[in-house]
Amino acid sequence: MRFVLIAAALLFALPAHAQGVQQTKGNFEDKFRQLDEVLPDANTYRTAGGAPGHEYWQQKVDYKITAQLDETKRRITARATVTYTNNSPDALPWLWMQLDQNIFKKDSMSELTDAFGGPGRRGPKVTLGTGSEPTKLSMEELRRQQAMADNEYGYDITAVTGVGGVKLPHTIVGTLMRIDLPGPLAPGETTQFEIEWAFNIVEEDAINARSGYENFPDDPKKGGNDIFLVAQWFPRMVVYSDYEGWHNKEFLGRGEFTLEFGDYDVEMTVPSDHIVASTGTLQNPDAVLTAAQRQRLETAKNAAEPVFVVTPQEAAAAEAGNPKGTKTWKFAATNVRDFAWASSRKFMWDAMGVKQPGAENETVLAMSFWPKEGGDLWRKYSTTAVAHTLKVYSRFSFDYPYPTAQSVNGPVGGMEYPMITFNGPRTILNKDGSRTYSLATKVGMVGVVIHEIGHIYFPMTVNSDERQWTWMDEGINSFLDSVAGYEWDPNMPWSRSIPRDMVSYMISSDQQPIMTQSDSITNLGSNAYGKPAAALHLLRDTIIGRERFDFAFKEYARRWKFKRPTPADFFRTMEEASGTDLDWFWRGWFYTTDHVDISLDSIYRLKMDSKNPDIDLPRRRQEREDEPGLVGTGLNKQQGLPIWVLENPGVTDFYDKNDEFTVTPKDRKSYTEFLDGLLPWERAAFDRAVKEDANYYVLSFSNKGGLVMPIILGLTFADGKTEKMMIPAEIWRRNAKEVAKLLVFPKGKELVQVVVDPEWETGDADIENNNYPRRIIPSRVEAFKDEASKARLSRDLMGEAAGAEPEKKRK
Amino acid sequence: MSLRRLLIALALLLAPVGVGSALAHQQKIAISTVSLNSRTGMIEIAHQVPLHDAEHALRAQGITAPDIIGSAKSREAFARYVTKRFLLEVNGTAVEPSYVGSEIDGGSLWVYQEVLAPADGKAGLRFDSQILTDVWARQENRVNIGGGTHPETFIFKAGDAPREALLAR
Repeated sequence: MRFVLIAAALLFALPAHAQGVQQTKGNFEDKFRQLDEVLPDANTYRTAGGAPGHEYWQQKVDYKITAQLDETKRRITARATVTYTNNSPDALPWLWMQLDQNIFKKDSMSELTDAFGGPGRRGPKVTLGTGSEPTKLSMEELRRQQAMADNEYGYDITAVTGVGGVKLPHTIVGTLMRIDLPGPLAPGETTQFEIEWAFNIVEEDAINARSGYENFPDDPKKGGNDIFLVAQWFPRMVVYSDYEGWHNKEFLGRGEFTLEFGDYDVEMTVPSDHIVASTGTLQNPDAVLTAAQRQRLETAKNAAEPVFVVTPQEAAAAEAGNPKGTKTWKFAATNVRDFAWASSRKFMWDAMGVKQPGAENETVLAMSFWPKEGGDLWRKYSTTAVAHTLKVYSRFSFDYPYPTAQSVNGPVGGMEYPMITFNGPRTILNKDGSRTYSLATKVGMVGVVIHEIGHIYFPMTVNSDERQWTWMDEGINSFLDSVAGYEWDPNMPWSRSIPRDMVSYMISSDQQPIMTQSDSITNLGSNAYGKPAAALHLLRDTIIGRERFDFAFKEYARRWKFKRPTPADFFRTMEEASGTDLDWFWRGWFYTTDHVDISLDSIYRLKMDSKNPDIDLPRRRQEREDEPGLVGTGLNKQQGLPIWVLENPGVTDFYDKNDEFTVTPKDRKSYTEFLDGLLPWERAAFDRAVKEDANYYVLSFSNKGGLVMPIILGLTFADGKTEKMMIPAEIWRRNAKEVAKLLVFPKGKELVQVVVDPEWETGDADIENNNYPRRIIPSRVEAFKDEASKARLSRDLMGEAAGAEPEKKRK
Repeated sequence: MSLRRLLIALALLLAPVGVGSALAHQQKIAISTVSLNSRTGMIEIAHQVPLHDAEHALRAQGITAPDIIGSAKSREAFARYVTKRFLLEVNGTAVEPSYVGSEIDGGSLWVYQEVLAPADGKAGLRFDSQILTDVWARQENRVNIGGGTHPETFIFKAGDAPREALLAR
């Protein structure tokens, strides 16, 4: 046999198994190096398998809050009794609270450190082409700057008192506040204190705060009406955890929240004609809803489709009228990590029961609240999208753990809180009074509701640390929202979340690894949403497979339901529960900025020599004859040059009748000796190989992108048949730059074409080098030109079809 | 400088909105790839913009009922907008690449442009991607120079000055 496998790579392998291990000779890079040297050590709080340890603990914080909404002043005034239970093994001399509203103070760290465009890149310097363009550039900033100048934002903390009304010393540090306790809070002990505060609600469209008010000046009521979305609205406890102690990380606006679970009793006093949507369940429907509304709410619990609780007519009447004093709405919520609410007289409200047989909450009320500006887009798709989300996400994790799941329309594009989400898409008002919306708005609407409701699972229940690791909720949630999206309608263009969508980001030279602290990331959407979602799709559909991936993912969700996981817990659980070593995958996708680009560089075809001269020599003669003739002798012939042997036909010898491939007795003798020299097992193997006369191919690959990936091969044979084959990523373990692989096919099964990643599963950045033989891959522009005549996606606009003309200046 | 222009210039020196939110549908990123196609002798530009962002841009342009998926007209309007916001000089001369077309692929709108490359295949580029920076102060654009898998990436935010790079065959 004369095929030689490329084996030089094997010489480079060196062990790398301890922290501080360094490759000090050669250029070997171990892409499969154990991740344990990067991950924190396991302990009694978190196991090496990624589960909560036998001494896992977390703090508990319960709140009783009374709040007043001053609609005219757009101001919240509130008071809370906070009950803090120290489940940690540590005595705590003080408590820290988060004062998120303080980010809007003029001297906040966020305001002072926002480097506009970076050093030396200030001001409107866009001078190329259309010099007048920068005028439009700054309108958003202008509006914000004016809002900041005209208003005093941030918390007014008016009292912090302990038992018996004793004033507790407190120190405000930006968005954090330390409260000094009279004495250390011992492990297992509970303390209680009261806090009073007030703040001016920001205008969301000006400040972009994840919450705030929105004014509708065109409403019939004088001065218009507001929608209030109230969140980050009370001093929330800073997390004290086993892995970081107090999480004293200033709120800079990007990295979201890290919070403790607890029980809430909240009373909010609002204008009497407002409808309130809130985290929790309504405790006093008799006091705030009409008898008819209460009856409709009951009906909704068993309805197959959404039922109006507050009808469009009731909302229209409220919108045109005036309040008669105030009403107090009371809500209670158990085991939530946060609490948010919304209030407006503009809201209509629908509800539908989603059944979860056997679950703690067998009937979940999926509900939506929206103003007339939401129109049919909301009536048809909000509550139904909530219900769809619960079905898909529960399949991947656990039964929805709360009694309500709500979608509220207001000025926030999309934001999540326990049991309640804020979602922005709306209809367009036409001059004839009709309301229409585009297909992209519809996709956006369904997509954002799925995404934000999905957040009630991650991170509202699987309570990851958003401030540091955005990907743990946004990446996991983007993965699941696209799963739910494709299960809603596979033909809709859902948000970018699969590997092929991320190529242009992943090849860019300026980016950060996913495991970067949230506030330091550029292009958070690609880094913390799209790329981790693509990685998880790749794990599920290509590397692990759906059954084991879904099992492991569900186990992660189950283990960390109502607990606080870290990245290590996710990585370890996915490995342990799927039975797959994924250290290489986490390393590559989450700890580096490599991309996927595997090149198929060459294919050598090898034939088995039978050693039998009567078989091999004629075959070689045929091979020689199949080779192209010499160009020179062809030209000689064309020139009519005389050939000596043809001109002297009488002069011949043995060599004129026998070529170099003539079989001689010596050849046959040597063949017999070869056979006789084989051991019995060698003879059997040899005879079988000769008889089978298989096709041998050596495929050489190089890894140009850096990420090691399974090598997925699309094989096409001479008979036109195709096969898909997957070589696990571990083929790269000894040489992550170049590998060769021997493929064997039976006689008659000849390979004519091979394509790496034929279905574009891995996000391979260069398709051209995936093909053997090479093919010219048109650029995107060229490919588009070829297909341009097909006139894709030319569906009619709903409004255009009805001949409607949009109203330009009204919502 | 008029008072209005002065105000605007001042505003640009102030901090832009530093707050993000968990938006599923506004990614606030546009990735433009500028590459040289030696087969056609053209500089090709492919802009990848999240669909919903594109529709917001049209609304900000005063188009009140854009339909980026359904309407070729809306896509062309956005392409015209992109052409205005993506500024390009080749070897010291401002150029206006022609609009080739646009298509939807995954959750992205792709807008294609092209312009004739210099005959020697060496193009000194000066460019600025201000796509959508007039809609969101937080918009962060990437320009990948080079068509292969190791492009040079430039990041642009609102008001950033043009950058330069050499695009060679």
